[in-house]
Amino acid sequence: MSEYSGNEAVVMKNVCKDFKVLNRHEGLKGSIKDLFSRDYKTVSAVKDVTLTVNRGEIIGYLGPNGAGKSTTIKMMTGVLEPTSGELLVNGKVPYKNRTENCENIGVVFGQRSQLWWSLPLIESFKLLRDLYMVPEKDYEGMIELYRSLVDIEPILHKPVREMSLGQRTLSDILAAFLHNPAIVFLDEPTIGLDVSMKAKIRELILGLNKEKNTTVILTTHDMGDVDALCKRIVIIDKGTKIYDNDIEHLKNYFGSYRTLKLKLSDDTWEEYLIDEKTTDVMDVIMEKQKEKKIKDVKIDEISTEEVIKKIYEGSAK
Amino acid sequence: MHKRGLAFYARIYRKILIQDLKSKMSYRADFIISTFGMIMTNLAGFVTFMILFHNFPTINGWDYYHMLFLYGFSLVALTPVQCFFDNNWNLRFMVQSGDFIKYCFRPVNVFFYFISEVFDVKGLGQLAFGIGTIVFAWIKIGIPVTPLVILKLLVFLLTASLFMIALMNFAAATCFWIKGSGYVMVIMFRFKDFSKYPSSIFEGIFKIIFTFIIPIAFIAYYPSLVILEPSNVPILSWISPLYGILFVYLSYRFWMLGVRKYDFTGS
Repeated sequence: MSEYSGNEAVVMKNVCKDFKVLNRHEGLKGSIKDLFSRDYKTVSAVKDVTLTVNRGEIIGYLGPNGAGKSTTIKMMTGVLEPTSGELLVNGKVPYKNRTENCENIGVVFGQRSQLWWSLPLIESFKLLRDLYMVPEKDYEGMIELYRSLVDIEPILHKPVREMSLGQRTLSDILAAFLHNPAIVFLDEPTIGLDVSMKAKIRELILGLNKEKNTTVILTTHDMGDVDALCKRIVIIDKGTKIYDNDIEHLKNYFGSYRTLKLKLSDDTWEEYLIDEKTTDVMDVIMEKQKEKKIKDVKIDEISTEEVIKKIYEGSAK
Repeated sequence: MHKRGLAFYARIYRKILIQDLKSKMSYRADFIISTFGMIMTNLAGFVTFMILFHNFPTINGWDYYHMLFLYGFSLVALTPVQCFFDNNWNLRFMVQSGDFIKYCFRPVNVFFYFISEVFDVKGLGQLAFGIGTIVFAWIKIGIPVTPLVILKLLVFLLTASLFMIALMNFAAATCFWIKGSGYVMVIMFRFKDFSKYPSSIFEGIFKIIFTFIIPIAFIAYYPSLVILEPSNVPILSWISPLYGILFVYLSYRFWMLGVRKYDFTGS
């Protein structure tokens, strides 16, 4: 456990991360040139991000592919050093104190198991207990908590290589919480899982967060995860933070949006996203009816998925 | 923050090793085939050696049994790198696929955590083969068996093993900077074959390269002289333990520098 008693799990102030990338030339001649080239360009993966995450929060850290999510997580875990700005995790600079930082965090990278491939889960747990120097009593308590939250018996004595993807993800999440870290980073934890497994994993994360007050930083493209877990979301795009607020606020902001679905005479559905402030839904229906016969009409509230899509699109303009 | 000293690392290594051996036994066919493969590889090496010697009874003044001693010495000296540092061969794949990052999330030394993951049992057969060869040559040459000579043998075997460990660390760590590091590893691994011959056969520039830059002359030649020619031990033999420790340390620093410099791009 951390000696740091502040209420902030993560504090980022104007954090930037640049990468130097070699300007590659084409062809064989170009490759030879590259060998001796000093021709680098700088790519900014994260630009001036300021962010505070409080203890016990579950935040959704969202953004399109290549937005800078992973780079941020890698800085928070102490693997990468920020180019500039201030970054504190549990009150310490992660890159300068990598091992110490690692004692207080847990990491799950979807689909990439960090457990010993050929060992039964229980043996992996015991090795992790020793690696993190978890007192026996705390370890037993954690296993008991796991038993109360999920049915771990079927996987406990199974080698990781023999597990299904769902069981493996479940195991990885349990392993990440085992040393009772202050923060757990979950990167796409439900990717590729079936609906019931997704639900099970979300329930487990909520349960652990509630029991242990663990801060969870979740990156995902699955809005179901966001709806089920996060009260607050942070969105970054092209390295810049573009949204940071409650998920409710987000929905209110786009609250006047409706999804209008029309079933046409040829049995196809057409979808329209309509802002009720500027456009009347009835007008759209009337307009459409002039062109084709409408068999059915549905009006839905905007989903989180569509809200996020709108934000991504807005930032792309 | 917990303090993690040598005792901690030794305990963790032992536990990982035991678990690893247990799980290896569960792949019985794999275990048997790889043991068989290892015996055949060693036999083939031995036969090559015999044929060579059938045609050249002495190499640069070294007779059959002295050469055999050198051969056995290098086999034993190459065991630790084979047994304990075999995961270096997987490093470049892990780095390229991005899987390497998982070794950076534990509160332990990254090099230790990575290397501890694989223990290669095949090396043990090589060890047995090497010990047998040394004992056989030892008796035939008629080296006296005293506690001091045995102690020297152990110390210099250990010394010799450091050089190959260092070379493979260097070679593996190049993958943090270059894409074709596989070739570097294969070339370095091939160099070990030269260690089975007395380095006095190398002249001029090669002698300098194989002594100081790619120090394979230390894998068997210089350390074994302490046992084989106790009356005429070169200074390089005596300093080889220190040089070995320095070389391993430098290779470790180079490896860790690679981890620090690496971008971990891609998700």
